[in-house]
Amino acid sequence: MKKKAFSTVMSMALAGSLVLAGCSSSDTSGDSGESSSGDKTVVKMMHLWPEGSSNAQYTIVDDIINAYEKENPDVDIQTEILGNEQYKEKIKVLSASNELPDVGITWAAGYMKPFVEGNMFASLDDIVQEDKFVAGTLDAFSVEESTYALPLELNITPVYYNKEIFEKYNLEAPETYDEFLNVVKTLSDNGVTPITLGNKDRWTGSMWYMYLADRIGGPEVLNKAINRTGSFEDPALVQAAEEIEKLVDMGAFVKGFNGLSNDEAKGYFMNEQAAMYLMATWELPNYTTTPDVAQEFKDKVGYFKFPTYEGGKGDIDSYVGGPGVGLFVSEQSKVQDEAKDFVSYLVEEWGKRSVVDAGVIPATVVDTSNGELDQMYVDILNDLGKATNLTLYADVQMSAGVADVHLNQIQSLFGGQSTPKEFAKTQEEALAAEE
Amino acid sequence: MKNVMSNKFVIALYTLPALLLILLLIYVPITLSGYYGLMDWDGIGEMKFIGLENYVTLIQDKMFWTSTWHSFLLAIFSTASLLLYLAISLVLASKIKGSDLLRKIYLIPMLLSSVAIAQLWMKIFDPTNGMANKLLEMFGVENTPIWLADPAIALYAIFIPVIWQYAGFYILIYYAALKNVPDEVIEAAKIDGASPLQIAFKIKLPLISGVFKVTIMLAVVGSLKYFDLIYVMTGGGPNGASEVMASYMYKEAFKLNNFGYGSAIGFGLLVICLVMTWITSKLTKSKDDVQY
Amino acid sequence: MSEISTQPTTTTLPASEKPKKSYLNKIGFGFLYLILGLFAIIQIYPLVWLVFFSLKTNQEVFGMSPFSLPQDPQWGNYTKAWTSGNIGLYFFNSVWITVLSVTLTIILASFVTFAVTRMHWKLSGLVLGLFLVAYMIPLHSTLIPLFNMYNNVNLIDNPVSIVLSYTAFNLPLTIMILLGFYKTFPREIEEAAVMDGCSVHRIFFQITLPMTVPVLSTTAIINMIYNWNEFVFVNTFISSDQWKTLTVGINNFVGQYLTDWGAIGATLVISIVPILIAFLFLSDKIVEGMAAGSVKG
Repeated sequence: MKKKAFSTVMSMALAGSLVLAGCSSSDTSGDSGESSSGDKTVVKMMHLWPEGSSNAQYTIVDDIINAYEKENPDVDIQTEILGNEQYKEKIKVLSASNELPDVGITWAAGYMKPFVEGNMFASLDDIVQEDKFVAGTLDAFSVEESTYALPLELNITPVYYNKEIFEKYNLEAPETYDEFLNVVKTLSDNGVTPITLGNKDRWTGSMWYMYLADRIGGPEVLNKAINRTGSFEDPALVQAAEEIEKLVDMGAFVKGFNGLSNDEAKGYFMNEQAAMYLMATWELPNYTTTPDVAQEFKDKVGYFKFPTYEGGKGDIDSYVGGPGVGLFVSEQSKVQDEAKDFVSYLVEEWGKRSVVDAGVIPATVVDTSNGELDQMYVDILNDLGKATNLTLYADVQMSAGVADVHLNQIQSLFGGQSTPKEFAKTQEEALAAEE
Repeated sequence: MKNVMSNKFVIALYTLPALLLILLLIYVPITLSGYYGLMDWDGIGEMKFIGLENYVTLIQDKMFWTSTWHSFLLAIFSTASLLLYLAISLVLASKIKGSDLLRKIYLIPMLLSSVAIAQLWMKIFDPTNGMANKLLEMFGVENTPIWLADPAIALYAIFIPVIWQYAGFYILIYYAALKNVPDEVIEAAKIDGASPLQIAFKIKLPLISGVFKVTIMLAVVGSLKYFDLIYVMTGGGPNGASEVMASYMYKEAFKLNNFGYGSAIGFGLLVICLVMTWITSKLTKSKDDVQY
Repeated sequence: MSEISTQPTTTTLPASEKPKKSYLNKIGFGFLYLILGLFAIIQIYPLVWLVFFSLKTNQEVFGMSPFSLPQDPQWGNYTKAWTSGNIGLYFFNSVWITVLSVTLTIILASFVTFAVTRMHWKLSGLVLGLFLVAYMIPLHSTLIPLFNMYNNVNLIDNPVSIVLSYTAFNLPLTIMILLGFYKTFPREIEEAAVMDGCSVHRIFFQITLPMTVPVLSTTAIINMIYNWNEFVFVNTFISSDQWKTLTVGINNFVGQYLTDWGAIGATLVISIVPILIAFLFLSDKIVEGMAAGSVKG
């Protein structure tokens, strides 16, 4: 019976000693970014390419870090790697406590703005080499003429389609919107899901809307509504919403799209249960290089540019898209100079390798004469070179609050809970309220 | 005897460590959170003191009350499900054959992380390929529902995995409580000729009423502050149809850069929990409690 | 108890009724087993599904019926799960953090519940109320304040922050469950022990605690599952790889645009094995405890 008391005391002692052990070892794990452990300057970096899921990007970054450390033996770069959502959540917590890493990943425009206004990001004007970047990509990462992050990715959004399904019903890749509607109708009449869409995530439906807005009203109409030099109740924007309504009523989209995540919706396309999928070029590895996908399927995938609208102002080489993530340097960083130097180096080296090794299109100008690229990449890059306009995703352009209204309205519009007029009006009010 | 059991030093020794932990790690943060609720803060830049403005907005916020209502509905359904779990536990605790194995099997889903459960149920609810609709089609239903995409039923659809998730939890507790009932009492009743049903209702249930009341409390509060599956599976959508208080708070604080307002929502959640707990305890009061 | 009639009911039935009664009984039982069996299938299906899930390719995961067997079992998913990142290390961390937190929680909760229900003091209601209210606090409300606090005492990226957080957040629930059980234990035994001159400590350790083994096993299981699968705190308070746990390891497979579901499935299966074993072990204790914890003096 004394045993019970004894064992309790023992376990508490054990617990206590483990706690102490934990305490002491934390002192040596060197978690303060500003101190130099020994002779080295420590630069802490956080990114969202885990070894497991994003092996290609992870390897590139890892190699670049190693190369940089070799060339700069007095610098030690420590990385913390998280998955996408977890990264976003953690950055929020860190920024609330002023504990951002020296170097980290950020998204453009509306996401970045509060960080800039809160003085969390350092200006990168001193290291940016503008001519190395594709035109327009830096704008999304600039606030009042200063650049606060360097973009690493560039994406446009074509419509991917299953060539075999098209052939089966004697369809060709449409170039006009009327041809497109014909494709949708034919497929739907034959019991094939024309388009797969995962609108639970909402931004996916937004891309469809944005294209229609562009094709009907031209590339500026949406931007103007957002930056308040125009109105969201512009007739072109309302008409675009009406076209969406028509598409939904035609049964163009997969059943239950408003409850499917993008990942789930993608599955329909990959399993050949849907014929078309509007998505960004980050999907390209799935149709070209990824070993996980059957070659048989890959051979069936092609893409076409979003069709033009009869009487509309947008041309076929205008894309919805823009820069993806970029690198920032924390304004509070105690090793700003070293961090900036590293960022500069990373962006440059990344640009050289990202297409071939990871299938990611960088924001820096890419040399396609390489010859090692899969045909689809070459085509995309050529099309990118001819692009007349890139409209950045609406929900990225807008501030977080307005973006949420926009995305909710998209879901409502697609789901039939908002009429096109209500859709436009609600967003106009939200945008106006922000001014 | 009174002295032994009122020894202040021992009482302090026994309760202070735990008390200290929760005061430091729970009460201090929630106070801070209430304090943030007095600020206009995006979680990134400077905080601006705006007094009770957030709380005033909160009271007038339609979405907040909608999400509260949804949480409340979840609490009702959860509590109702307790009866089912109690029934199952009664069967498991009786000495029928195979109850041991069944008990272990019934508790297995409890071990799964929310990630796995979310994935599983999203697949089940898939409108085209999912098991739910495939089963309905087998029974001849033509226009199968779109479950999580339909604003009218998304809320109720999402309740199913949430309530199912806790089956193991409550069955485990009830089972342990039932097993605690001394065998002699049950044997005595059997000798007196009581049927299994009589034994269940007149002996077992009253003896575990204390535990049952606790589970009601757990179900109510747990439902009010529930977050995990709802956020992952529907994100509160479509367009707020399945929003609950915790997911609304998370969105405002972490996604929409309204950290001050989000904190106010969190505080509102706490107040509502307090009120509901008080109501629930009043409703489940019985003369047994007087003893303590 | 007095409601049960003490008069013996008739034990002999007319001959004609006997077979009918047992026939009805059989149908009743059969029906009961049918329902129980159905429920068992519903409960065990997720585990089966998870194993299938872990063996599928990304393509198969979506779009195919959840019943479908993987066409080409991707055992590679398991090798991937084991070799990418430091699964072995994460596993170890999950184990010791869980064990330590659960032990701490149970011990502290037992102390508190005993003090609140068995000892006489004016503030017992208040203290109990404090724990009760603590249960109502949504986790995310505390995230940023906690981070700040830990940061100020340099406990960020230190597993101690995790152990303390788990213990603190599990105390209310554990105490509430223990409370429900403590109320059903008669006080006479303890009162008798006091008469015999036992000290409080002896009463607690030698009488009350052994009686509560079943409920302690119950709360152990509950806490263990919660801590093992917990994610938010680890993600927020821990940065370096050496202290991460399995749940964060799952994250290793969530990409920016592409998620490797098969590998996630494999990680989930790997992570469920230890708690499955622990659970089977502990749940037996619930029944065993009954035999040992004799209520009679």
